[in-house]
Amino acid sequence: MKKMMKTAALSAALAAGVALALPASAQEDSIYIPNLSYRTGPFAATGTPLMNGQRDYITLLNERDGGLNGVELTYDECETGYNTEKGVECYERTKENAVVTQPWSTGITLQVLPKSNVDEIPILAPGYGFSPMADGKVFQWAFNPPSSYWDGASMILKHISEGDLDNLNGKKIALLHLDHPYGKEPIPLLQALAEQHGFTLLPIPVGLTEMQNQSAQWLQIRRERPDFVLMWGWGAMNAGAVTEAAKTRYPMDQFIGIWWSGHDGDLKLIGEEGKGYRSISWSVPVPDSQLVQDIRQYVVEPGKSLIENESELDSVFYQRGLMISAMLVEAIRAAQEEFDTQAPDAEQVRWGLENLNMDEARLEELGATGMLVPFKTSCADHTGHGGAWMLEWDGEKFVKVSDLITPDREAIEPLEKQEAEAYAAANAPWPVNEECEM
Amino acid sequence: MDFLNAIFVQPFADMAAAPDFLLQVVWEGLVGGVLYALIALGFVLIYKSSRIFNFAQGIMVVFAALTLVGLTEKGVPALLALPLTLLVMLVLAVTIERAVLRPLVNQPDIILFMATIGITLFLIGFGEIIFGGENKVMITRELMIPTDSITLDLFGGFVSIEQKDLTSVIGAVLLVAALLLFLNRTKTGRAIRALGDDHQAALSVGISLSTIWVVVWFIAGVIALATGIAWGARAGVSFALEVIAYKALPVLMLGGLESVMGAIIGGLAIGILEKLFEVYWGQPLMGGNTEAWFAYVVALIVLLFRPQGLFGERIIERV
Repeated sequence: MKKMMKTAALSAALAAGVALALPASAQEDSIYIPNLSYRTGPFAATGTPLMNGQRDYITLLNERDGGLNGVELTYDECETGYNTEKGVECYERTKENAVVTQPWSTGITLQVLPKSNVDEIPILAPGYGFSPMADGKVFQWAFNPPSSYWDGASMILKHISEGDLDNLNGKKIALLHLDHPYGKEPIPLLQALAEQHGFTLLPIPVGLTEMQNQSAQWLQIRRERPDFVLMWGWGAMNAGAVTEAAKTRYPMDQFIGIWWSGHDGDLKLIGEEGKGYRSISWSVPVPDSQLVQDIRQYVVEPGKSLIENESELDSVFYQRGLMISAMLVEAIRAAQEEFDTQAPDAEQVRWGLENLNMDEARLEELGATGMLVPFKTSCADHTGHGGAWMLEWDGEKFVKVSDLITPDREAIEPLEKQEAEAYAAANAPWPVNEECEM
Repeated sequence: MDFLNAIFVQPFADMAAAPDFLLQVVWEGLVGGVLYALIALGFVLIYKSSRIFNFAQGIMVVFAALTLVGLTEKGVPALLALPLTLLVMLVLAVTIERAVLRPLVNQPDIILFMATIGITLFLIGFGEIIFGGENKVMITRELMIPTDSITLDLFGGFVSIEQKDLTSVIGAVLLVAALLLFLNRTKTGRAIRALGDDHQAALSVGISLSTIWVVVWFIAGVIALATGIAWGARAGVSFALEVIAYKALPVLMLGGLESVMGAIIGGLAIGILEKLFEVYWGQPLMGGNTEAWFAYVVALIVLLFRPQGLFGERIIERV
């Protein structure tokens, strides 16, 4: 009952689009971590487990360890509904005293990006946002670890071409994508690689109102007969696409999604029919990890989690949410140590994000062995480019079916640099950190 | 020249070259159109009886579908969950009439419209509390809706028909037929039409406004449930179902806000036309996703010539 009341209070606040009644101001004994989340609207199904994971990781530290090095972490959600305008409002509402902002949408990230230099609040956009944000010289306040969308596109192509993109010569690759900044993000790189390696790229956009009725898009796939379909889908689009793929009898082993298109809940809709569908992912659920056991003991069992049922704990998205908060906390921890302060400010946390070292040893200390690709950021590299694994739906759950795949950085870097410079020129005067060494 | 060829020749050549594919496109358009028509009917019924543009119709689809699935998740047998969901929709209709509409009688239309936005926000929050935001599987098999597909070998190719889509179409046709019978052959149905024709005259002959509102909102709830089952069977049940209500707006513009026939014909026309346009013109010439705007363009063209829509009532006011 207590849990339901708590859930009720949270949900009502979210539905009304207001921030939770948590303290919005930082105190000396707390660190304020806002999250521009979404638990309502067309994207709630995919947003909710991620937010639950993020929230539960912070709750775990507060409950098990009494916070981070003795300081309470104040986690605060502001509901955006994945709407860019609402996201910007949420950013403005939560930026005072925030040590970080987590926009949770490529559209919102693009809007907040120019403000980051002025407000001096680091943007943490793990695995999303504008891919050239990897260039830390240009985007001093933006971070998208451990892999960018362009890394993702490169790794998928590497996987389907068995390591040599020239094997794709003459093939046709469809990109089924949400008609939104997020969905369009991989297109520049894929176009460049298509020209370079001789394959045909066929972008197929899916509008918001067509997410659940993609028959036209799948009729196009039936007509064009692409050799592979890549998916940059989100929210209800993922479920709509896998349902239509099964209906169209498109071979599931030729259908591969980015990491946001690998949600257990979406594939459960078609179960066995989805067998063979793959999704690249920089996180993997490890249900028996020490971290998950601690979450169960300190957060779920005492009724402090918002998860609907315990099976959510083992899902890809929930455990990715845990890892996203782990990255942020490790950055704050690094800042605490570097600046010898309990409550680092936004600029100090920016340093922490720039000096993240999530290697295997550190992941083991966190009880998260195998849950996240190891990576390291630097002043010049705000992504880390840790790579990813390929997950495959076995009819009931996603399982890891590949060794670590790494992006072809040689192919990506020139475009990344070019786009970052173009962004800086278009938004001049844009400060560039020339002290960073590439 | 190539451009003109791509507009006026190539699409028809493609249709003639692969008639099985054309039939598949028309079938998919028909299924979509039937479902658009169902949503539009919910809007029309409420508008006809109360002059309220019900912004909450989309969230009612979500709420009805989530209630049905949620009850079965709690262990209620599917065939019992169905009438129980209808009961919930009846309670919702009574509550809306008592708590929202009755206190706002005689208020300007815009106030009532804003009230339906309030209902929408309430149902989003309330639904989130009760059912959560996760995508849920529609209880298709439990409702005895067949889920296999029929493959017809035609014109050297094939047309694939999902049995659940076929069931949706048949179900929608039966529902609309029952609705038309109800509106034309029953006393309550005639009262609804009377209210739609002339509010004051209807009230003066003793028609109870509050009863009719409850009946109409309940019927809109039944339609929402049917729509929720049909769409939910295609891609799961989640709050994303709400956005499909936007597809009904051009249908209403095309068919007219007061016309049941307009909603049906408008829905079917837009469903089929937008699919044909997308596949044969939109994808090759414009990169696709023309369904997002095509229906509005058709509706606007119709409005240029018939501002009241194809079947709407022409209003002549003496000055």
